[in-house]
Formats: sequence, C-alpha cells, structure tokens
Amino acid sequence: MDTCILTFSLLNGSDLLFAFVCLFVCLFFRYGLREFVVIAPAANNDAVLSESKCNLLLSSVSIALGNTGCQVPLFVQIHHKWRRMYVGECQGPGVRTDFEMVHLRKVPNQYTHLSGLLDIFKSKIGCPLTPLPPVSIAIRFTYVLQDWQQYFWPQQPPDIDALVGGEVGGLEFGKLPFGACEDPISELHLATTWPHLTEGIIVDNDVYSDLDPLQAPHWSVRVRKADNPQCLLGDFVTEFFKICRRKESTDEILGRSTFEEEGREIADISHALSKLTEPAPVPIHKLSVSNMVHTAKKKIRKHRGVEESPLNNDVLNTILLFLFPDATSEKPLDGTSSTDNNNPSSESEEYNLYNQFKSAPSDSLTYKLALCLCMINFYHGGLKGVAHLWQEFVLEMRFRWENNFLIPGLASGPPDLRCCLLHQKLQMLNCCIERKKARDEGRKTSPSDNVTNTYSGDAGKAGDQLGPDNLKDMDKEKGEVGKSWDSWSDSEEEFFECLSDTEELKGNGQEGGKKGGPKEMASLKPEGRLYQHGKLRLLHNGEPLYIPVTQEPAPMTEDLLEEQSEVLAKLGTSAEGAHLRARMQSACLLSDMESFKAANPGCFLEDFVRWYSPRDYIEEEVIDEKGNMVLKGELSARMKIPSNMWVEAWETAKPIPARRQRRLFDDTREAEKVLHYLAVQKPADLARHLLPCVIHAAVLKVKEEESLENISSVKKIIKQIISHSSKVLHFSNPEDKKLEEIIHQITNVEAVIARAAH
Amino acid sequence: MDEDVLTTLKILIIGESGVGKSSLLLRFTDDTFDPELAATIGVDFKVKTISVDGNKAKLAIWDTAGQERFRTLTPSYYRGAQGVILVYDVTRRDTFVKLDNWLNELETYCTRNDIVNMLVGNKIDKENREVDRNEGLKFARKHSMLFIEASAKTCDGVQCAFEELVEKIIQTPGLWESENQNKGVKLTHREEGQGGGACGGYCSVL
Repeated sequence: MDTCILTFSLLNGSDLLFAFVCLFVCLFFRYGLREFVVIAPAANNDAVLSESKCNLLLSSVSIALGNTGCQVPLFVQIHHKWRRMYVGECQGPGVRTDFEMVHLRKVPNQYTHLSGLLDIFKSKIGCPLTPLPPVSIAIRFTYVLQDWQQYFWPQQPPDIDALVGGEVGGLEFGKLPFGACEDPISELHLATTWPHLTEGIIVDNDVYSDLDPLQAPHWSVRVRKADNPQCLLGDFVTEFFKICRRKESTDEILGRSTFEEEGREIADISHALSKLTEPAPVPIHKLSVSNMVHTAKKKIRKHRGVEESPLNNDVLNTILLFLFPDATSEKPLDGTSSTDNNNPSSESEEYNLYNQFKSAPSDSLTYKLALCLCMINFYHGGLKGVAHLWQEFVLEMRFRWENNFLIPGLASGPPDLRCCLLHQKLQMLNCCIERKKARDEGRKTSPSDNVTNTYSGDAGKAGDQLGPDNLKDMDKEKGEVGKSWDSWSDSEEEFFECLSDTEELKGNGQEGGKKGGPKEMASLKPEGRLYQHGKLRLLHNGEPLYIPVTQEPAPMTEDLLEEQSEVLAKLGTSAEGAHLRARMQSACLLSDMESFKAANPGCFLEDFVRWYSPRDYIEEEVIDEKGNMVLKGELSARMKIPSNMWVEAWETAKPIPARRQRRLFDDTREAEKVLHYLAVQKPADLARHLLPCVIHAAVLKVKEEESLENISSVKKIIKQIISHSSKVLHFSNPEDKKLEEIIHQITNVEAVIARAAH
Repeated sequence: MDEDVLTTLKILIIGESGVGKSSLLLRFTDDTFDPELAATIGVDFKVKTISVDGNKAKLAIWDTAGQERFRTLTPSYYRGAQGVILVYDVTRRDTFVKLDNWLNELETYCTRNDIVNMLVGNKIDKENREVDRNEGLKFARKHSMLFIEASAKTCDGVQCAFEELVEKIIQTPGLWESENQNKGVKLTHREEGQGGGACGGYCSVL
C-alpha cells in the first residue's frame, strides 16, 4: 500500500489545496467518484509519457489492488500534468472497472452537443435492452477566466509628478500606500450546472440548444487566489527594513565631496566647537521663519548641482515643508508645538500604540520623518535619497539650535522615555533650544544689554556685537565666581543665567568667600525668590520663608540615563560606594541649598529642611517654664548625624541665586552631543531607530483598511500582530528574524484585505 | 556573575520620605538595622541574590529618595523595572494618603505595564499605629498589588516581601524571560557593562 500516497511535495500550501480541489472536481465529475486514491508524479518532469510505462504502472496497480483487496479505485496520472489525465482501476467482488479518459486536442463536431454524446454513450454501452431506458444526465459548463491581470487593475501607482507639482501637497508624505499591486485573484471559475436531467426533456444538438447557461438551476463560482500577491504596504515596509542591513555611512553613500563641503559649511555657520568651551553670548536674531526656509534652501542649492543630488529640489522642499510646517508661517511658533495642545487622551488606542511599540506619537516629527524616509526609499532615489534627506534633516536641526527656533511636532518637556531613542534625542535638543532661548532672552532684557536685535546674517560675528563693557563684566563675573568656588575649579564653567548685574554679585561673592555664619548672611540682600511660603517663617528672626527659584532638573534620554545608572551601579554596594554615589547626586541638593540661602538670608538648615523634607523636622508640644504649651521643633535624628551629607552640603552652600550658579544642565554641551549623534547615524541606524514608527504606521493603515471591509478574522490577526510587535519592539536590539516575521504578518493581512476588497 | 543565576531583576523602592525605604533595603541585604541612617540623596543601589522555589535571581535594587524635589530626578530610574516596592509608614497616615500620587507616578513613568507592584506598610513595631492593616490590604487589592506589613527594625516581613515579589515576577511570563533571550538588554549588562563615560547633569562629583 505504500504506493498509494499522494505526492505533491513541490507545491506550497495554497497550491496544494487548489490542486486537491481540481483533482476532486476532475475525478468526481468525470467518473462520479467520491473516494479514490491517486498516484501522481511529484515534479512536472517526472510525468509518465510513454505508453509502455503507463501500461506497466496500470498493471502494477492491478496487482496491488488484487493483492490487497482494496475496493477503493486507484488512479495514475499520466501525460503532462496540465492535461489532468487520470486512468485507473477499481476491483470489487466479481467486478472490475477500468477508468479511461480521452483527451482530444480538437473536439469533433458531433461531440460538442448532448445528442452526439448520448449517441456515443449508447453505442459504447452496448445495452441489449430495447427500448433503451432513458439516460439520466448531469450537465456542467465551466467557464474559466484567467490571466486577466494585464487588462485592468484599478490600483494606480501614486502620481509622482502630481506630488512634486505641489497640487497634492506634502500631505501625501504622511500616508502609506495600501493594497495589492496586481490583482490578488488569479483565476475565476464559473460552473453552471443542471444536476438532474433526463434524456428527452431537453434538446441540445448542432443547430439548437435548450442549455442556456443563464437558465441553469445551479451556479457556482470558485476563486483562485494569487499566491503572495505583491502588496504595496508590505513592499514599502520590507524595502525600508532592508536599509537596516546596509553598512554604508551617509558620507559613503553621498560621496566624499559633499561631505567635505558640508563640513566646511557647518564650521562657517556655527563655530560650533568654539562654542563648546566658550559660551559666548549669541545675538538674538529677529529672524522670521520664512527667512529661515530661505536660508535652508540656499544651503541646499549651494551643496550640490541639481544633477548630482539624489533628491530633486522640489521633492526635498515639499518634504521639508511637510516636516517643518512652521516654516510657512511668518512668525516662529513660540514654545508651542502641535502635539502640545491636542494630546490624545491616555485611553485612546492610538496613544497606547506608540507606548507599546516604543515608536513616537503619530503626529510627531519623528513619525512623519519615518514615513517620509520610507516614501523616499521607495519612490525617490532609494538609499541615496534616504541619506540625502537625513543629511538635510540634521542640517535643519543644527540651524534651529543655532538660531533658537524650537523644533515643531515634539511634545514639550523632558524626553519621553516611552518613545524611540531618536524621538528622545530630538526632544532633548528641543529642551536645549528652549533653555538657550530663555537664557538669550533673559540677557536681552537685562539693562546693560546693548545687543542689537537685527539679524546680522552671520553668527560668527557674535562677539563684535557685545559692547566692550559687557565683555569685561563677563570676565569679572567669571573670575570672581571661580575664586569663591574652590570645588568647581574646572575650566568649563558655565552659568545658569549670566546676567551682568555685577554689583550685586561682588557683594555676595565676597561674603560667600569668607563663609560667614547665618548672622552675617542676614545682612545680605535676598535674591532669587520665587514666592513666599504660605505658613513657614524663618526660625531665628521670624521673617517669612521664601521658596527660591531653583534650577530645573536635567532632562535625560534613555541612553544617558543608562550611562548614569551604570556609573552609579559601578560604585558598588559598599559604604564608600554609597557615599560617593550620594555625593555625585548631591549637585542638585547643593544648588537648591544655595538658591534657598540666597532667597532667605540668615536661614538655618532647619529652615531648609522644613521646606525640602518636612518629615525631617519634628515638632513636639512641650510645656515651657511659664507653663504654656509651645511647639518645639528639631531636626530628625538622621539629619543630626554629624557630617551627614545634608549637613555637609549645607555648610558648603553659599548664598547664590540659581541664575548665577553653575548650570546643572549644560545645554550647549548636550545639544552638541545630540547633533553629533544625529550626524553620525548611518542610514541603517536610522532605519533601525525608525522601524517601530513605520510598523506603527503600517498597523494603523491595516486597521484603517480593515475597518472598511470589517473582516472579523483580520481583526483578530491585527490584535495578534500588535501584541507580538509590542513584545519584539520593546527591546533595544530586536532580532531581524522577529522583525521580518512582523512585516510578513502585516503583508499577509494586507493581502487578505486586498482580496476582500476586490 | 554566577552561572546558576536564572535572571537579574530590577527592583525599585519608592514612597514618601522617612517611611523607611533604605532601612527595609538594608535589613534585606545586610540583615542589619541602623536607626541613624542618613536620608538618601537621589538614588542608591544594592545587589542581592536570592533563591525562590529553587530559582536563583539576582536583584538589582534601586532605593530612591522620597523628597518631593528629588522626584523630578528619580522617575528616570523607573525605566525597565520589573518590580516596585511601594512603602508607607503605618504610624503616619499622611504617608498612606500620598500613595495615590506614587501610583500615578508609576503609571506615568513605567515603561511596561505588566510590572509587579508590592505595597509594604513599614514600622509595625511602633505603638502609635495610624493605618490599620485592613486599610492597607484594601488599598493593595484595589490596585492589584501584593501586600505585606513589615518592620525593618524587628525584621518582620522583610524577607517575605522581597521573596513574594520575586516569586510573582518569575511567575509572570514575558516579564523576565525575554530579557534573557535578547542580547544587550540584560540587566547584568547594564550594571557590569563597559563604557560609562560622561553622565548627565547631576553626576558631578562635589
């Protein structure tokens, strides 16, 4: 019996199913069998062509059936596969049936109609009965429609000219394409059936026929699906994913010459490196954003001739306008971004999705950038186009940093650790721009300021615009503060806010240097008060306690955070390690103490603790010598431990308001770090950063399309894709195989929807 | 790192200032009690390997400062934590009332939603109790947290709190297993990895 195995080894799943159906249809309708065994060659070139081989097979079948007593008919497929020729045999007790088939290249005229076929049937059957009993007939006409793809398929590729022409606008860049590129259905079979007819009630001959397919009592349609139809969205994501495997750097892709030019240009505009060490004040440019776009365009044109740039200028400008919509308005968007106001409610699915995928909100710059890069990779110059756009993007980021223009499309505040690292980096840059802007504006309003408010067009001249007095003040300020802060003697001193109110500073600075006690301090002029505390009064003189203006905490991206926690963890778990760890983190505490001292001259640690850590000031009702109930307070036991870090820091702290303290967050350095990070990202790195956004967008697109068709099975699969993706994408380096799997799943769903939409 | 350690888990201890977070940790890791433990500045860090149901797990425990001002700094450490111990002081109702704020914070800053939370009512050795055990239990149930009352001073419930937390984490599929399969994201890499270099604004040595 081991020959009785159906072998279709070379066929894939859906093919196998289809072949099965064909086979069944073929044998059922030709021989009226519901049960049979078929032996068929596995490969096309193994077809049984010669008559002798065919006979040999049939006689083997005969012997096998006889030996086994099998009553199920057994067939052998002969000739070329496409002819679907099956011959076989069935052995029952006392009966033997041979099944034969004739395949004619051209049907003889007399066999094209029922009456001719009946004639041949009756003559072959050789029935001795007269009159012959009526023959019962089942008739089926099958119409096959195939290879129709060439004729018409409604999915149009996007009209690139229209995109560039500006008619459609940049909006198209935010959308993903969807659907099959080719018809997802490859064959359509229509069968019209008359299942029960008796000879004589219908006429069908060479001149007349009752058999009008439209009148057939039974119609059935069968669809053959194209295997793996090419689908736009799937292709889009797949192509984007391929970038992840490219090793070239942006410079290698765009060519050495552009890089050099770029380098020079950057140096020209910014003097970026000198800024790192010398925080020279930058003039405040009253630059309208249209000006800015103009400059950006000029930059682009300067870089390359039209013929050598991978992206043509129109496409590039359309994309840049799409990414930076604020460039169209005359006024720069001040401090607000589009994502600020319409924060999606935390319950909405969309909101959860970026959280789950670790991508970015769907209205963010990062998300839009991902879609644009995807689009460019597919339609506008592939990898080169991607490298080009990225280079322009990085340039734009630097331009915005240098000119104090906030980056649009990013929620304000510290980096959102739930988003992808690239998004966090952009948010970080925005934080830096925000602080630099605030600092520059603070300087602008200071009385001794004589910086002109016009755009000089060249940031390199910044120094010239400062009056000589101003410069001198800056120097003095630095010198003095440097002297009084022994512990901060590194050369990279920068101040939170460098106001040139030197008189005040001189007074306080000198006092501070002598490390005077609270009594002496009490004579100082209070500085940097934010507001008065509701209830608390200073312990020694009953003056109201003021909450000081403090330095904002440093925003952190997840890689910085990881670095920092690594450093902290490396200190180990010993007492020394813990002490050092606390010391490293006490900069913020010290800064707050200094601000507090400046705002509350003559205060004690007790005052500070009552504001900062109220539970560490313990108040008790006691009865004094006169018998009155009085509140007596003292520091908690842990705050009284000799030379604990709080006490230590308090003793070190000098009354210096936040704006004159050393900056806890060096926005210049952090911004340069981000810009450098962005500049060295290869297209592959970029693609890896943004792949979660692309998958996020693809899932949203699939969901949107599904909602039009409403296929419950697809809904389920989409849910699975989402939960699968969120597991895979939450790790910093997901395996390629897992990512491919996700993309494959998305493609499959797309194909299902495309078929359903047919 | 020991070969037989099943996984490394990141645990976070949070709660109002002075509720005994650092004392609980010290009791757990060193089995000592120091009535004069200095107030934590920023975050502190300890490691301990424990065995739960025959599985060895290395715990990297981050202890945080409870003061309001430090709160802008510590949420960054919530990232990647698999377990959180939320502590209140049973003798100070205000520390219990503030629990809601801490839960909000957790929800906002935790990067994963299947994280295991444990509520610990500390200082049960003291006599002036203000928060009843049932109140704590009710709160924990309402927010689907584990719950235990403990005393870092008398050692009551401390070991149990950590063990139960770890057990629950290990029973939660996907919370730690996949960490091990993915190179580069193991917590052990974070702690013992090379590099480091410059760190953020708060890291300057005094």
